[in-house]
Amino acid sequence: MLALDDVSMNFGGVAALRNVTFAMDEGETLGLIGPNGAGKTTLFNVISGVLTPSAGRLEFAGKPLGKAANWRRARQGIGRTFQIPQPMHELTVRENLMVAQRFGAGRTDGRRIDEILDLLDLTAKQHIDAAHGLALTEQKALEVGKALAVEPRLLMLDEVLGGLETATKRAFGQTLQRVRERYGLTMIVIEHDIETIKTLCPRVVVLNFGELIADGTPDEVFNDARVIRSYTGDSAA
Amino acid sequence: MFELTLQAVYSGLLAGGWYAMVALGLALVFGTMRIINLAHGELVLLAAYVAFEMERSFGLNPIAAIPVALVVVGLTALLVYFLIGRIRHDRELNSLILTFGIAIVLTNVILMTWSADIRSTSVGWFMDGAVIADTLFSMNSEVLFFGAGVALVGGTYWWLNHTWHGRALRAVSSNRNAAMLMGVNPARVEAMSFVVSAVLATVSGVALYTASVVFPALGHGLTIKAFVITVLAGLGSVPGVLLGAVILGVGETMTATFAKPSLQELTGMVIFLLILFLRPSGLFGRKVVGK
Amino acid sequence: MTMMRSGLLLGFLAVAYLGVPLLFGGMDYVMSLVIAALTIAGIAVAWALLGNLGGLVSFGHAAFFGVGAYVSALLVMDNGWPVLPAMLAGGLGAAIASVATMPALRLRGPYFALAILAYAHIFKILAVEFSSITGGAGGLLSIPGFPTVFGLDLASKTGAYVLILTIVLAWMAVYHAIRRSTWGLALRAMHDSELATRVVGVPSTHLKAVMLVVSAFMTGVVGAFNAHQISFLDPEYAFSGTWTVLPIAAAIFGGYRTVWGPLMGALVVYLLDQLVFKEIMPSGHQLVFGVLLGAMILLSPQGLMPLLARLGVARPRRETAPQAAAPHATEDGNARA
Repeated sequence: MLALDDVSMNFGGVAALRNVTFAMDEGETLGLIGPNGAGKTTLFNVISGVLTPSAGRLEFAGKPLGKAANWRRARQGIGRTFQIPQPMHELTVRENLMVAQRFGAGRTDGRRIDEILDLLDLTAKQHIDAAHGLALTEQKALEVGKALAVEPRLLMLDEVLGGLETATKRAFGQTLQRVRERYGLTMIVIEHDIETIKTLCPRVVVLNFGELIADGTPDEVFNDARVIRSYTGDSAA
Repeated sequence: MFELTLQAVYSGLLAGGWYAMVALGLALVFGTMRIINLAHGELVLLAAYVAFEMERSFGLNPIAAIPVALVVVGLTALLVYFLIGRIRHDRELNSLILTFGIAIVLTNVILMTWSADIRSTSVGWFMDGAVIADTLFSMNSEVLFFGAGVALVGGTYWWLNHTWHGRALRAVSSNRNAAMLMGVNPARVEAMSFVVSAVLATVSGVALYTASVVFPALGHGLTIKAFVITVLAGLGSVPGVLLGAVILGVGETMTATFAKPSLQELTGMVIFLLILFLRPSGLFGRKVVGK
Repeated sequence: MTMMRSGLLLGFLAVAYLGVPLLFGGMDYVMSLVIAALTIAGIAVAWALLGNLGGLVSFGHAAFFGVGAYVSALLVMDNGWPVLPAMLAGGLGAAIASVATMPALRLRGPYFALAILAYAHIFKILAVEFSSITGGAGGLLSIPGFPTVFGLDLASKTGAYVLILTIVLAWMAVYHAIRRSTWGLALRAMHDSELATRVVGVPSTHLKAVMLVVSAFMTGVVGAFNAHQISFLDPEYAFSGTWTVLPIAAAIFGGYRTVWGPLMGALVVYLLDQLVFKEIMPSGHQLVFGVLLGAMILLSPQGLMPLLARLGVARPRRETAPQAAAPHATEDGNARA
């Protein structure tokens, strides 16, 4: 489904990603973890075409991504969210989804939008100005909604649970599971909360200083000595 | 053929010294405020007309009119600065429309005050020929203001690099937030860039009046030329402005000499578009493309 | 609400198509003024479409106006085309000319604005230089006028009025339709959140380019109309800055983010200028446009309507009102099935 081969990303002299290599099968859900500044978001940016990698190859659905522009990748089936929600300004919640569907999926289907709104508990808010009228949880839900409206095959979630209270977090985690089952998605999830990772992701990849240092089941990864050292013990305990 | 080329290069060089003065004023404000003052050419023209009025009413030599012109142009520039400061939203684009409007106002004020007639100085010395090395011809005023232009541009360069005010201005140009953290007040620096810009506009306006003819519709074209040079130079490069101005000046005189005088105006435009498309960061400066 | 709006629209159309010709049809001077105002309105709508939807300020719409005028006039005079198809071809010519300006779309706002201005200058100089085709600085004289269609002599003042009115209304309809479509939504969103729109598949630069082409086409047709209407053309006139200044003043004054703003702005600005300011100050009356532009940008960049609203003259009508207070009190075509 998705394959990264020796992908590196340099900003000036700083290496944000170093020779990252991994592959994913269709239907897999991958947890992407690592300390702050490990390069997780950079990896998303490289896959979604927001950044062009300094070196390495990316392949999606059997075809090389090459230098395809970010909007083209969305149309190929890569949906993503942003850690800091980026609603489309001047549009309502529903209009956000309409634009994503029309351009990302190339069709107009009001029923599917209704369904996404319903799944994400946004139906009551659909006519509200997306940039100014939403609470944090709703903003995060809209991030997921926009990515879903694109009708992606690969969905990349960048800390959509970050900053939420524990109860909300649990409920939203369940929502994400429903979403995955409903649409049969392949997913990559960036998340700090270990419990969430354990419940959502059968496989976990760890980045540290831009390097892939572990790749395995949650149990394997959280017991890996390098991983524990990279977190200096605190969160892997 | 060789002599023609030499003469064209010489004339272009002289024009370049003057263009540099006009363009640097625009570039400074653009640097500090990220605003293209579309009324800049009209400020230059205003100085020319003040010199004309002083000569007509009081028989003053245009050079002696510079202080008066400086006051008029300086106050007008500060008014422009004040009005730009009142823009609340989307300053980058709204300032374009605002200064475009101010340019129209100034053009028409000039038109109503001094009529559409073509004006030039009656002091003969300015128009007298200054022949160099037996072959290169120019007018006294061209040589004088080429020198003045180079001196002013050089002076500004020195000022930017060796005085605290100048350094503050450069700091705001390159990184506004960092400059504020260092305790620089950007509003004062912006006002200062307008004042320096007005000084440059004043001298170049008086130069224009002594070396050529002026009429109310002239300002627009001056702004465009200044902008072309700014783009050619790239943001934040004073030597770039000087070189860009000379390139434009020589390019124009070469076109006039070897193609057709009527195509002269096309030179700047073609250079402008070529630079925009091939090397948007200008010859010496930072990028202008994208966000 | 919708009933009232369609009623208003019908009333407006009745007045525009029947009332004005019946009232002023015999007064050539008045009709000429109104035709000129509508010509400005046509460009203003095109400018507003590019400004509002493309997020691009152009100082060079005179370029498209002039190209449209020349293409149409030359097709009729040299190739014997009928006038009306030639006008469309004029629009097409302007649209093609706009393709040449597209590299400028990569550039940030001010650069684009001035790059287009550069094109207008270049086109003017080219029109002078290619004198074998364009007649050079001397211009083209006695350009053929409009034909008679459905018994209406479009060459008459009333006929020309109906023609330009129809063109302007058509452009407004196009502006309205694009603005309401998903395209319009994406274009509006792009302005403040370009990355967010791109990662859901919106090719923002392409969309801007299309707006530029549409805007150029509209302007070109209006330029062609004007050429056949006054039957004369020279480079200085066809590419005159007036064709840029007046429409901008009109669109800014009326409010370029609305569909009616440019039309209303053009009527008010142009008629005031011709009937009042030109009388008061025969030279330099364009000063008023400058003051108007500055004042509008400082006081009410959204145009006259919001300004009136703020002064309490008219009731505010927001485009995308935050409806947090009453989420269900909305009329929406996409309501749930």
